[in-house]
Amino acid sequence: MYSIETKSLSKSFGDVKAVDDISFYVESGEIFGFLGPNGAGKSTTMMILTTLLKPTSGHALVSGFDVRRNPKQVREKIGYVQQETTVDEYLTGRENLLLQARLNHIPKDQIDSRIDEVLELIELSDKQNEPVVTYSGGMRKRLDIAGGLLHRPKVLFLDEPTVGLDIQTRRKIWEYIKKIHEEFEMTIFLTTHYMEEADQLCDRIGIIDGGKIQIIDSPQNMKSAMGNEVISLSIENTESEKLFLSELEKIELINKINQDQNKIILFASKGTEVIPKIFQISSDLKIKIISISLTQPTLDDVFISYTGHEIREEEGGFNRRREHAKMKRLRA
Amino acid sequence: MNSLMYDTYTIFWRELKRYKKSRSGVLIRLIQPAIWIIVIGNTFSGTQPLIQSVGFEGQYIEFMAPGVIILTAIFTSIFGGVNTLWDRRYGFMNKALTSPISRSAIALGKMSAISLIAALQASLILGIALAIGVSFPNPIMIAPIMAIVILFSLGFSGISVMIAATAKSQETFWGVINFLGMPLFMLSPALFPLELLPDWLASVAKLNPVTYTVLLVREMMTGVSEGGVSALLSIVVISVFVLVMVGLASYVFTREVNKPF
Repeated sequence: MYSIETKSLSKSFGDVKAVDDISFYVESGEIFGFLGPNGAGKSTTMMILTTLLKPTSGHALVSGFDVRRNPKQVREKIGYVQQETTVDEYLTGRENLLLQARLNHIPKDQIDSRIDEVLELIELSDKQNEPVVTYSGGMRKRLDIAGGLLHRPKVLFLDEPTVGLDIQTRRKIWEYIKKIHEEFEMTIFLTTHYMEEADQLCDRIGIIDGGKIQIIDSPQNMKSAMGNEVISLSIENTESEKLFLSELEKIELINKINQDQNKIILFASKGTEVIPKIFQISSDLKIKIISISLTQPTLDDVFISYTGHEIREEEGGFNRRREHAKMKRLRA
Repeated sequence: MNSLMYDTYTIFWRELKRYKKSRSGVLIRLIQPAIWIIVIGNTFSGTQPLIQSVGFEGQYIEFMAPGVIILTAIFTSIFGGVNTLWDRRYGFMNKALTSPISRSAIALGKMSAISLIAALQASLILGIALAIGVSFPNPIMIAPIMAIVILFSLGFSGISVMIAATAKSQETFWGVINFLGMPLFMLSPALFPLELLPDWLASVAKLNPVTYTVLLVREMMTGVSEGGVSALLSIVVISVFVLVMVGLASYVFTREVNKPF
């Protein structure tokens, strides 16, 4: 049985399709990530899986239960850590966890030991009796994550777990997530728009853009499918650009070509052999190459190759502000 | 049923914790009713003959003190639901909604916490009233008075939670609350006896649950029954009001929080 399974899942707000016919599964014990820009439909999908939103059509099973028909059972199996930190500032760290424990019906005689255990895990034991107002952003996030796993959910949902944190704190949170995953062997479903995060944490990634899944695979496979090397070159504006591209396509070692304005990205299996060929073509066509570089493929390149653009905030067909305005109009 | 009680208590506990940590707010909210009782109570002291004409023997301030206690209860409880909006904005609501607790428990926990807080505030006003010389024929009545205030506030906290769950913005919430709060207070015998109102106003006031609460609490504080309303009738009216509001509030709350915010 899969931990999460969706079939043709869709969610529309008015005429905006936030989630458009998504089907995927997440294996038990896996760390699975949705990677995509803001407004790609990641959070909406997560809100459907955590029973906060009802899908417009399609099905979703979490831990074997249908989110639409058995939301109560789903809620018993999941932990959900939201994008914004949701800890109560005026309560102490421990009180926050106590609240979370009660919300999730942890048996009374186990509450204290469970809280001690997660406090230890996220290294907040010595600050537990101080109000959260005195915590740093990273500490609050850790406390939030701790709250999500206190009741040992079968599936832990992490919505953009490190958004807004500095890079050191981000790394620290990644360590905690890995530690949690080893310790409790739970399935983790996370969303992120950080390439590095997806690369570091996930067993498999789904690239999502404009409400649709573009591809699902392991980060390793994605990168090697791109070919072993990435050649980026920029050329001067010229009319023979099209011809140049079609000539490039004839080079057998090139697997894929992407173009973004003057920048051309080539995915090739033997980059060092391809570069001389590129110069040959360009001098034949009298095209001036401004710069050229040869790198190992990153998830960034993978993302560009599937979506045709880089991960950018506030772009793509669907963003949070529009989503909000739409929802508002719907209610009116 | 057991789990509903447990879940209600969880939310109740959280709301009270938050209240306890905001001590400055407790005092600020006392300023307005204190001004009412001191300023209005003394300003209108010349109206004593008017209230004597309906059979009330004491000072005007003794007549209106129960009204201000109810005023405190009304406003504390009707404002109390506002944190529902914060909870939805800052994620606590989603946290509660994705946990196994029932939606009604969230509403009930909030309502019971608000009504207890309202009663605490009201008891502080009662203390101020006693301190400035309002006499109390029978101190044994303090506990039942507080019980009535808690019950009554539960009804008003229901109104508040209902409006907060339906309103999508602070502005809407405060607009509706201000539209409701003052008229309900004014359309009651809190400041002047029903007998002095024109007939049509008195009839409207008799549809207002605040009227019955004021009459009942005043009777308990001063021993004088007015308006031809018996204590039993008042208790029945208040209980029905509270039951309807609590039921309606849990229903509306459950329906509204399931919609995206």
